[in-house]
Amino acid sequence: MKTGFSVFIAVFVAMAFSWSGFVLGPVRQLGTEGQTNILNSSDIYPNQRPGAATLGLQVYRSYGCAQCHTMQVGQEGVVCDVVLTAAGNKPAAVSNLIATLQLTGLTKEQADAVSGQITAAGGKTETHIVPTGADISRGWGMRHSVAEDFLWDNPVQLGSVRVGPDLSNVGMRYDVNWELMHLYSPVSEVKSSTMPPFHFLFIKERIDGTPSPEALPLQGDLAPPAGYEIVPTEDAKNLVAYLLSLRVNVPLYDAPFTTLAPATEKKK
Amino acid sequence: MSNDSKDSMQSTTESKTPTVPIWIFCLLLLLLYVCGTYFDRNSGWFDDQVYAPFQNSDEVAAYQPVSGAAATKLEGQKVYSSICAACHGDSGQGKPGQAPPLAGSEWVNAADFKEAGEVPQLGLNGEVHVAGQDWNSQMAPMGAALSDSDLAAVLTYIRGSWGNKGADVSAADIKAMRTAIAGHPAINGETGLKAIK
Amino acid sequence: MNQNEKDYSAIDASCRVPLLPLLGGAALWLVVGLLLAIVASLNFHNPEMFANCPYLTYGRVQPAANDVILYGFAIPAALGVILWIFARLSETELALPIVPIAAANIWHLGVFIGLIGILVGDTTGFQWLEFPRPAAILIFVAFLLIAISAFATFGGRRERALQPAHWFLLAGLFWFPWIYSTANLFLIAWPVRGVAQAVVDWWYVNNLLFVWFGLVGLGVAFYLISKIAARPVQAVNYALFGFWTFILFAPWCGIPQGAPVPAWLPAASTVASVLVVIPLLALVKVFAQTVSGVNVQCKGGPYCYAKFGTVMFIVSTLMVISLGCPHFGRTAGETWYVPALQYLQIFGFLAIVVCGGIYELLSPIMGFELPFAKFVRFQHWFFMIGVAFLVVPLAIGGFEEGLKMKDPNVPFGDIRRATLPYLQVSTAGLLALLLGSLMLAANIFSMIIRWKLGLVKTVLTAVQAPLETQEVKS
Repeated sequence: MKTGFSVFIAVFVAMAFSWSGFVLGPVRQLGTEGQTNILNSSDIYPNQRPGAATLGLQVYRSYGCAQCHTMQVGQEGVVCDVVLTAAGNKPAAVSNLIATLQLTGLTKEQADAVSGQITAAGGKTETHIVPTGADISRGWGMRHSVAEDFLWDNPVQLGSVRVGPDLSNVGMRYDVNWELMHLYSPVSEVKSSTMPPFHFLFIKERIDGTPSPEALPLQGDLAPPAGYEIVPTEDAKNLVAYLLSLRVNVPLYDAPFTTLAPATEKKK
Repeated sequence: MSNDSKDSMQSTTESKTPTVPIWIFCLLLLLLYVCGTYFDRNSGWFDDQVYAPFQNSDEVAAYQPVSGAAATKLEGQKVYSSICAACHGDSGQGKPGQAPPLAGSEWVNAADFKEAGEVPQLGLNGEVHVAGQDWNSQMAPMGAALSDSDLAAVLTYIRGSWGNKGADVSAADIKAMRTAIAGHPAINGETGLKAIK
Repeated sequence: MNQNEKDYSAIDASCRVPLLPLLGGAALWLVVGLLLAIVASLNFHNPEMFANCPYLTYGRVQPAANDVILYGFAIPAALGVILWIFARLSETELALPIVPIAAANIWHLGVFIGLIGILVGDTTGFQWLEFPRPAAILIFVAFLLIAISAFATFGGRRERALQPAHWFLLAGLFWFPWIYSTANLFLIAWPVRGVAQAVVDWWYVNNLLFVWFGLVGLGVAFYLISKIAARPVQAVNYALFGFWTFILFAPWCGIPQGAPVPAWLPAASTVASVLVVIPLLALVKVFAQTVSGVNVQCKGGPYCYAKFGTVMFIVSTLMVISLGCPHFGRTAGETWYVPALQYLQIFGFLAIVVCGGIYELLSPIMGFELPFAKFVRFQHWFFMIGVAFLVVPLAIGGFEEGLKMKDPNVPFGDIRRATLPYLQVSTAGLLALLLGSLMLAANIFSMIIRWKLGLVKTVLTAVQAPLETQEVKS
């Protein structure tokens, strides 16, 4: 290149190319998305988070929780399970047939073929769509995260390193008391935790007559001196409200799965 | 000359400066081809509904779970295409001289499903007037071998497709109908159909 | 020859006052940033340490350290070296010398405001962009000012033909304002909706840590290597080809493979990562051919810095390519492998090349030798050891973590326990880097002090002189 101007042109072309692709494109495609329907239902998703949870998102941002926690559930694949719903007129024939077939972990074509065979033998089947993946097996979500999950959040904190577990579905795994105790002393709930304790999210105050209902049930070394109690601040309560609002458990068109009546929650 | 200035480097071509060789261009083209194939298979072509692990929008559509009304419709469609479509057509349009249309048929769209259900259950021979046309052919009892829910599903499908506005039919309805007309011979034309109570 | 040296001494001297605030401040910020990084990594030795201090909690101190090192040291130091290189290549004195002085002060004020902002919780929440809005505006303005001075210097060049270093460094000066303003406008000023924010952030981080660092670092490295080896950059057509393909393909890397975005985004990054092999090969060819057969007694000087840095660029680019591959990217993409790569890009590549440039320019612009000449070699060793102990354990630990995460039967607690030793070793790497940075600061500041004392002495001599002659006369 001969002149500074030609360098500028080269840079302009290259920059405009990637800017259109990774800034303009996604902003127009994802930034204009609206709410969507939950599969096989007229419910809209996602709903805006309750007020305390929206404040909690700002607490999450302010303390840099995204440095250690991600909020992106990954999915490695999807399989079909064929489930027998009615044995039909000839139950013996159907059960003999089923004994010879593989019913779980099938592709869609295989599942259609198997269910066709069973239907021809007189049974009735239902095909369940099942997401697979390590994150899903750990109970960190029931399907992979999609753009709609983050529609109402500003700023979107996806995180980048899993120093701690993924939080997308943490609202389904724990309750208020567990979360508050975990914030105050992570080791008391998770033995091998390296998460720093967030004592500054709590106040030590003198017990005023009757103990406050919000006081943490601390034992042993963690317990405050006699006459004192540890109470969560507004920030702590908002943060916990935000965490408990985090769920990845509804099927959508771009993340389909079959919802089953009360699913057993897998342990972390 | 080498001490001319330690600092100013000549960017003018020396006689030894190699031009960019062909192999790097060939490699570039090869990589572009490989990457193009990968992108074609895995990107969903900019569709905002295609997320990994799905590879294209057809796959996302195929893996949608079906339940409730949609499942029944799918069942009915399967039965229809395997048994009824051969004569009545893929879109219920019928075949001249062979089978009357189901789309727009007043028998199919009647508020009471019974006539629409009795025909496949018993078979129909003789004259019948359908959608402004006279038909005279023979239909075997194609639906008699179907289970209650299958017959209900295919009737629901027929009554809800191609512009038809008939209500759904349940398996219980079919069971009651079959009990009511048990032992009845094949229907003899339109008059025979109307005569069944 | 003497004439040439004299020419350069005037050019170098013109750089002294404008560059010292930039470089001196940058050296200080490097020390501060590494101290903050060590504080952050202490969390992995004793998590309870900062339980009561909200300002030093990991989630605030770690991004503070990262941003201070990036915006406080890496970028301003690189800009200072670029200004000197442009002056040298143009064979004119630095144009608009007051502008970099003002810019440096604005810049350091911005970094300071940004640092305090993060520590009190006013962080934006976006990776590598955590400085709050006021700090970002100051940094942006300061960058533009420095770019103006650089362009003015470039415009006044005697020899109109461009060197390879020119392409890379000019491109760098154009690149940063565009990506920084885009990121700040789309994420902080008028935030876009939903996960598009994450996409813009990933685009920005890739364009900064991979593309911008690559452009600036390679520009400085090519200049240093060809200057010290006293031969021009070889295989110039490869360099041009590498430059073009790099700026076309590299900006498209950077979307993590497991991201919650439509599949075309990670697929585009995969394509880009594979295609980046082409510019990498071309630039390796240029580097290898320029360095081969050269007989330079290096002894830990700037030439060694430039060579080591360029090799680290090659390694870090290979890591970027690896993260673009779908399987590996999904395995290692959410582990410590990613910070390891980013530290390699910052410390292993850019910081080392820029420090080489600083050591190459310090003595000429000040007009006297380095007071602690041995520190140059020591710092080189400390930086190499530091990079090794910081990057390698995190990369290996991250990869192991990724493999275990794929097996759902391994409880997360076991995975966490297994990565701890790697994290604890990385603290040693940070300590080594800190020692190296103290040496850089020692050299720069002792030179500044000596220069200022020299100024004071000159002033005092001038003030006292008339009295002496009067005494003699009387």
